[in-house]
Amino acid sequence: MRIRTETGAGHHSISLAGRFDAHEIDGFRVAFEPLMSEPATVVHVDLANVVFVDSSALAELLRAQRAARESDGDLILVNMSDPVRIILELTALEQVFTTEAGANAAAGVAADGSGRPVETR
Amino acid sequence: MTNTSTYQAYRAWVTEAIAGKPRISVVIPAYNEEWRILPTVGAIATHMCARGEPWELIVADDGSTDSTVELLTDLRFPNMRVLIADRNRGKGSAVRRGVLAAQGDYVLFADADQSTPIEQFDRLLDELTKGYDVAVGSRAASGAAVSGRSLLRRTLSRGLRVVVGIGFGVKVADTQCGFKLFTADAARTLFELQIVDNFSFDLEVLYLSSKVGLKVAEVPVEWIDAPGSTVDAAKVSLQFLTDLVKIRISDLRGHYTVGGHQSVARATGRRHAIVPAPSPVNQ
Repeated sequence: MRIRTETGAGHHSISLAGRFDAHEIDGFRVAFEPLMSEPATVVHVDLANVVFVDSSALAELLRAQRAARESDGDLILVNMSDPVRIILELTALEQVFTTEAGANAAAGVAADGSGRPVETR
Repeated sequence: MTNTSTYQAYRAWVTEAIAGKPRISVVIPAYNEEWRILPTVGAIATHMCARGEPWELIVADDGSTDSTVELLTDLRFPNMRVLIADRNRGKGSAVRRGVLAAQGDYVLFADADQSTPIEQFDRLLDELTKGYDVAVGSRAASGAAVSGRSLLRRTLSRGLRVVVGIGFGVKVADTQCGFKLFTADAARTLFELQIVDNFSFDLEVLYLSSKVGLKVAEVPVEWIDAPGSTVDAAKVSLQFLTDLVKIRISDLRGHYTVGGHQSVARATGRRHAIVPAPSPVNQ
């Protein structure tokens, strides 16, 4: 899985591409946890190019969401691909996550002029 | 990003029974898969609905003691059948029940862990449309992309491949990949003969394919080791060798004979009789 991180003022995004399964959790964590260093951080996770998420990956996203909310922030899933959307429906998790259908987190960060993309894999 | 037409096709598939016979049947054997089955169903449904052809999904339970069956039946999908087993008999038994219940022109069996991504289906179907009867996903064929397979498993597989090739004349390099596609005729022929209930049924099916003169294509696939596998490779290999002997004995005892001493190809009027042709297997 390829992971691309962009950071801005209180607004960060992680774009994932490929297969998000148990093998990829450590990589996601490496990208996500540094973003939680400040309170009230909102992280957009762009899933437009994710072809599959397994149960371990869903559990990891839930863990990340809980961590963000505990510090008054949030984790928002954006641009969900068809398989991600359908898997979230089947697992009844689409209501658990905050989702944004059309938002593009990466573009949002770039627009504030402080975007700092980092490709981690 | 969401492709509206694919999602709409999926919504139609989960709400309306398809009219007529499916073109494709997907069979998933499942034993205690509550942790993995729903994402797998989602991935398969996405891809198959995107293809735009009528298809059905058959999940052949193998006596699960967890909530696998309940998770699936609660979905109430009109084009998905869950075949419930009263007890655990083995993967071969589950796949056999699923394949024999299938109604499609093409029958895929795919493991519940998505270790071979469903997108690889298209490559296998291409081979059947060229005239092959069976297309076998392969981790050993040139061009396969394999990740996460341990050295022990790779070594044992190579050893077993030699045994299978020499002892059985099966030229397929990877008999055990849980991703195989059959024409409807081939599926019925093979699984009506097939008797092995455990994981060695794959080998048996390929042995029978050779015996009855079906054309087999070996297709390199992408394969990702599914985390959490509890398979003991050494123990499985030993069982596999034992099953090789059992399959040979079954054959000698005539368990695989159809229509007197005719080959299945002749008995069913199929175009592929047993012929000493060059190997149809793509190495």
